[in-house]
Amino acid sequence: MELMDINLMMEITPLLIKAAWITIDISARGLFFGFFIASALVAMRSSRFFPIRSLARAYVSVVRGTPYFVQLLLVFYGGPAIGLRLDPFTCGVVVGAFNIGAYMSEAIRGAIESVDSGQNEASRSLGFGRFATLQHIILPQSAGLMIRSIGVLAIILVKNSSLVSIISVVELTYQAQRLIGSTYKPLEVFTLSALMYIVIIYAVMGLVEFLYRRATRYTYL
Amino acid sequence: MTTATTDTPMVELKGVKKRFGDLEVLKGIDLKVERGKIVSIIGPSGSGKSTLLRSINNLEEIDEGSILLDGVQVNRPDLKGLAYERHINHIRQNMGMVFQHFNLFPHLSTLENVTLAPRKLKGMDARSARDLGLELLERVGLADKPSAYPNSLSGGQKQRVAIARALAMRPKVMLFDEATSALDPELVEEVNQVMKGLAEEHMTMLIVTHEMAFARDVSDWAMFMDGGVVVEENTPDRLFTNPDQERTCHFLRKHLGNQASAQMPS
Amino acid sequence: MEFNFAPVITYFPTLIKGVGATLLIGLVVALLSIIGGQIVAVITLYTRKAVNWPLRFFIWLFMTTPLLLQLYFLYFGLGQWVLIPAVAVGVLGLGFHYMAYNADIFLATIKSVSKGQYEASRSLGFGHVATLFHIILPQAFYRAIPQLGNNMIIMVKDISVLSAIGIAELVYLSQYAISVTFRPFEFYITIAVIYYFINILMESGQSWVERRAAARR
Repeated sequence: MELMDINLMMEITPLLIKAAWITIDISARGLFFGFFIASALVAMRSSRFFPIRSLARAYVSVVRGTPYFVQLLLVFYGGPAIGLRLDPFTCGVVVGAFNIGAYMSEAIRGAIESVDSGQNEASRSLGFGRFATLQHIILPQSAGLMIRSIGVLAIILVKNSSLVSIISVVELTYQAQRLIGSTYKPLEVFTLSALMYIVIIYAVMGLVEFLYRRATRYTYL
Repeated sequence: MTTATTDTPMVELKGVKKRFGDLEVLKGIDLKVERGKIVSIIGPSGSGKSTLLRSINNLEEIDEGSILLDGVQVNRPDLKGLAYERHINHIRQNMGMVFQHFNLFPHLSTLENVTLAPRKLKGMDARSARDLGLELLERVGLADKPSAYPNSLSGGQKQRVAIARALAMRPKVMLFDEATSALDPELVEEVNQVMKGLAEEHMTMLIVTHEMAFARDVSDWAMFMDGGVVVEENTPDRLFTNPDQERTCHFLRKHLGNQASAQMPS
Repeated sequence: MEFNFAPVITYFPTLIKGVGATLLIGLVVALLSIIGGQIVAVITLYTRKAVNWPLRFFIWLFMTTPLLLQLYFLYFGLGQWVLIPAVAVGVLGLGFHYMAYNADIFLATIKSVSKGQYEASRSLGFGHVATLFHIILPQAFYRAIPQLGNNMIIMVKDISVLSAIGIAELVYLSQYAISVTFRPFEFYITIAVIYYFINILMESGQSWVERRAAARR
């Protein structure tokens, strides 16, 4: 008896690749919208108005304090009760974005706060306003750290996307589970699907490293 | 900005008070810097001298009193929100501030450090900004380093770039907050030379410093601060050699050590 | 829209049972993953390549693939070869997953303690093994506590995923109640509130433990 059924693996590879694209698609969209949600939360956290600051803080606390899986089930199955009907894929993108957005807002805030306060003072003393200081001085210096933290979150987002299989989005984990059920070859299916997750994650890591180097080039000039 | 007559002081403080929580760090300061003059402020750490300088630049907001730059009020408790922001940004463009720890922008080359503000705030085109930047770098003795990044510069070079950066906005007054305190001793002189150059060009300057000899040498007026008040002010020759107050005397004797006691006839 | 939380009240005993199951699973997985993570880290650091290479591979594999995929593999894979109850698959799956994450932390803290401390201890006359157990590991453990706490807080949230392979924890038991009452919104909101409460408790517990441990680092 051979270790693995190579023929079967060849046969199911196209199916898994197709499913992997859905995983990439749902994660990329979640990350994209999550970034805007995070930016909005960061802006709210630095608002002059206490209620707006507290609202953002409460949102981040609740999202971080409850399981992503429960959030997904709440929106998908509970959403219709409040008039929110989303198809599974959209639901995955939306919940993923709102979930990762909360974490990302903390990452962005952390990166911004890592910049020495003297930088802010020097810029303000030249006559730059709060926004111009953020744009020209603070963001370029926090970009490196920001990219790395967002990279970590992007990888979590990819792994979290496996949970949308529960609301029957045909992504990588859904397809893997279905194939295990129909072929009774868990090792083969697991090996291939794990490999695809690993490829996706390493691609993200490579991209993050590339962007990090570009953003921090000034430190070794 | 209103056009002030030549006899309006460039900087004027009236009864300035500042509290951090329960601690009153400025207890009613009056101060005048005439245009083209140089005023030094000395005093022990915690005396409020840095807070005073930072208040003039509005990096600290004062609780009472008023600060005027060339006849225009800096602190404006009557303004709120965006109007206040706009006012402060405009005022600050007329003041150059030099920090103890330089605070150069590490992601920008020295030339970009100098030209960022004129380009973005005055809308200066790239070519004129570059000319201005190179001219200022030459003035601080760094004409050969326009494309160097701050991390590759020595402390003295960094501080000279920071001075050029502040000069780029053509300020009416320069504020120096212990500009040489963070420098290695052998690098102090090159920064002092640049400041002396500015003095010769009649730049109005307010200098908070630990360098007694330099302060005495360069300034027109000297003030000694302690515990949030101006204990004594006088011409530098008088203040440094023959102070009226016991506290000033005590501070000078303790702080100067051998370096300046030689200059004191006592 | 109208909300009706009466069914939630009716099924409250079920929810309590679910919370109990969730907390019990959490406790077992925490012990398994922390003790196991410590053992895996020590074996990985102090054995020959033939032994530690596969271990490093499994740490890496568990950290780069999603938990649910691992659970499916164990559930269907192990089920092929041995008769094993679903709850054991769930506990082992979650346990292995976080064992990898915890081992990764221990690897780092053991290495950081070893620098300097190892030589100091050997120079006092302690042997290699005595140094490891009396000097290195206790310090490495205290250093790891903040990150272990973070991992365990994340782990408890992941227990909800076990409902996917039919383990009767909070979410799974609620899904039964939902299928009878057709009130998903009310039930999932309640679950979220319960989880948020557990999370707050764990975070305050974490800062309490960290304060106590900080003195011994």
